[in-house]
Amino acid sequence: MSTTDIKRSQPNLAERWRNVQFFFDTTMRVRLESLIVLALLCTAMTILSPFFLSLSNFLNILLATSTIGVLAIAATLVLSSSGLDLSLGSVMGLSGTAGAALVVEAGWPWPFAIAGSLGAGALAGYVNGQLITRARIPAFIVTLGMLGIARGLALIIAPNGGAIYGLPDPVVYLGQGRPLGIPSPVVILVLTALFAHYLLAYSRFGRHTLAMGDNEGAARATGINVERLRRTLYTLSGTLAGLAGLIFMARVNAGDPTAGISYELTAITAAIIGGTSLFGGKGSILGTMIGALIMGVLQNGLNLLAVQSYYQQIAIGSVLILAVYIDQFQATKERKS
Amino acid sequence: MIRIKSLALASVAVLMSTAAFAADKPLYGVLMKTLANPFWGAMEQGVKAGATAAGVEYYLQAVESDQAAEPQLNTCNTMLERKPAVMITAAINSTILLPCLKKANEMKIPVVDLDNNLDPDITKKAGVDIAFHIGSNNEMAGAQGAGFVVSKLGKDAKGPVLVIEGLSGNITGKHRADGFANELKKAAPGLEIVASLPGDWDRGKAANITNDILTKHPDLVAIFCANDGMALGAVETVFAANKGDKVIIVGVDGNSDAVKSIKAGRLTASVAQLPYLVGKQAVENVKKILEGGKVDNVVIVPTLVLTKDVIEGGKEPMMEFVK
Repeated sequence: MSTTDIKRSQPNLAERWRNVQFFFDTTMRVRLESLIVLALLCTAMTILSPFFLSLSNFLNILLATSTIGVLAIAATLVLSSSGLDLSLGSVMGLSGTAGAALVVEAGWPWPFAIAGSLGAGALAGYVNGQLITRARIPAFIVTLGMLGIARGLALIIAPNGGAIYGLPDPVVYLGQGRPLGIPSPVVILVLTALFAHYLLAYSRFGRHTLAMGDNEGAARATGINVERLRRTLYTLSGTLAGLAGLIFMARVNAGDPTAGISYELTAITAAIIGGTSLFGGKGSILGTMIGALIMGVLQNGLNLLAVQSYYQQIAIGSVLILAVYIDQFQATKERKS
Repeated sequence: MIRIKSLALASVAVLMSTAAFAADKPLYGVLMKTLANPFWGAMEQGVKAGATAAGVEYYLQAVESDQAAEPQLNTCNTMLERKPAVMITAAINSTILLPCLKKANEMKIPVVDLDNNLDPDITKKAGVDIAFHIGSNNEMAGAQGAGFVVSKLGKDAKGPVLVIEGLSGNITGKHRADGFANELKKAAPGLEIVASLPGDWDRGKAANITNDILTKHPDLVAIFCANDGMALGAVETVFAANKGDKVIIVGVDGNSDAVKSIKAGRLTASVAQLPYLVGKQAVENVKKILEGGKVDNVVIVPTLVLTKDVIEGGKEPMMEFVK
């Protein structure tokens, strides 16, 4: 980077490109490449389908991204710390079912649907964190175990394993309401993403998380309480899964114990397409949101074009691999220069 | 006739006037569960045949698996962007599509419940208006399965029977299992259902359940599975345990894999759902509605017990709908 000053007098195209990239990387914490991919994808879909470019379809895409988006935020936070949470989808299913059971089955007042969902998620995340830091069981194993436990609990809570239907109106509003014409889940997603982005990119908590993800030993040496931070992160991750469960429950007006099956993998995919490293130390919530949107636009566009879902899976798998390839390519180039 | 048709076309064109450009033929939206199951493949063929005969276009979507509930809701919302003349939907469970179907109601797009996946009580509670429900009657199909078992074993037969249900919470599987259990109790009280477990529509899971129950009840006389996929899983386990000639295995759907297995003398019978006929009749009835006609709120498509004799005998007229 020290050569930049000398070259600035006569910037060539590659140099300018790198400056723009640098701006997005540092100021916005977003990879320019993923933004370009998203823009290209939107342009292509607009050309291919006359139904793509409309406000209502744009809101559809955001609405379809809402639960996965919230889970992807959780995945980004945990991955940045070089952790892993495979229980996200199951905890989401458990949370929504628990919240619905408290209100519909047990007859408690409606705020317990919210408190119950978030609480169940937080509790599952707390247990994950305790087992990982105190019992020293690898995160992969603990959260894989929780994946089964949470799903089983959800199916036990729900009568006959079926969905618990019919929530009070204030709860349903969180999923089906439209404040200012924007679907509530989208509002929740955007607010959560902005808060989480601030947390990870600008707060001390975020700096510590990224430092721990980059090099745990060094983080410990600088006085960061690595264990406590990790517990907080897993509890936060569980709570966010609870929030996703709440959104889902409100959206379909039912606590569905089978909600969120294999969503953890989709959430991790969104995070990685957005530039978060699977090995920690690197992660951005805005990047993840772009990753989630790339997947959302791809799915929506292909649906409008009546492309079979099998091809959609191939497309998303390819985008994932391509995104990581671009990352590797950049990293090698940077190392060389 | 031509005038009625053009009138229908005109009304559809009005519906689609907000779209970027209107297609010249009415577009029927068809949302299925997944195409990774020959049952839905056969239904798609029926839809295609019906659409060709009716001179309409159809826009068919499905999701990656029959457990991908939220993706199905998202796909449903996306399909409404193309403002189809009708939404023919096979919901993954009884609640997931309700927000989208409500939106379709608001857009004055009639909604058809394909294969009876919606619960009329819940749709009423949610304020969703269904033009008609079409499919086989699942309780009747289950009862037909029980009738077949009793016809084979006799009404005084005794012995343990296993029931493998569908996905927990799915009413299709529940109705089939209930229909079977109720009819069996009536027709042959000596046959006792020793276990009724959810196989989640999963072949492997059904195989495991069969294995476990066979260990506990080696004298098992019959197995009823709420779909063919699971029945085929059960068949493999029963034959692996060398009990192929002792246990009657009945599935539901009559899909091509099941037909192959029945012909090979492995699966005993399948209560065929005739999905081809369901798809075809769905389109035919939609056309009737769009042209201002009336259709019963519940359209029942008959089922047929497929055995080796029925398939190879060539005497059953309904065989032409078995795809």
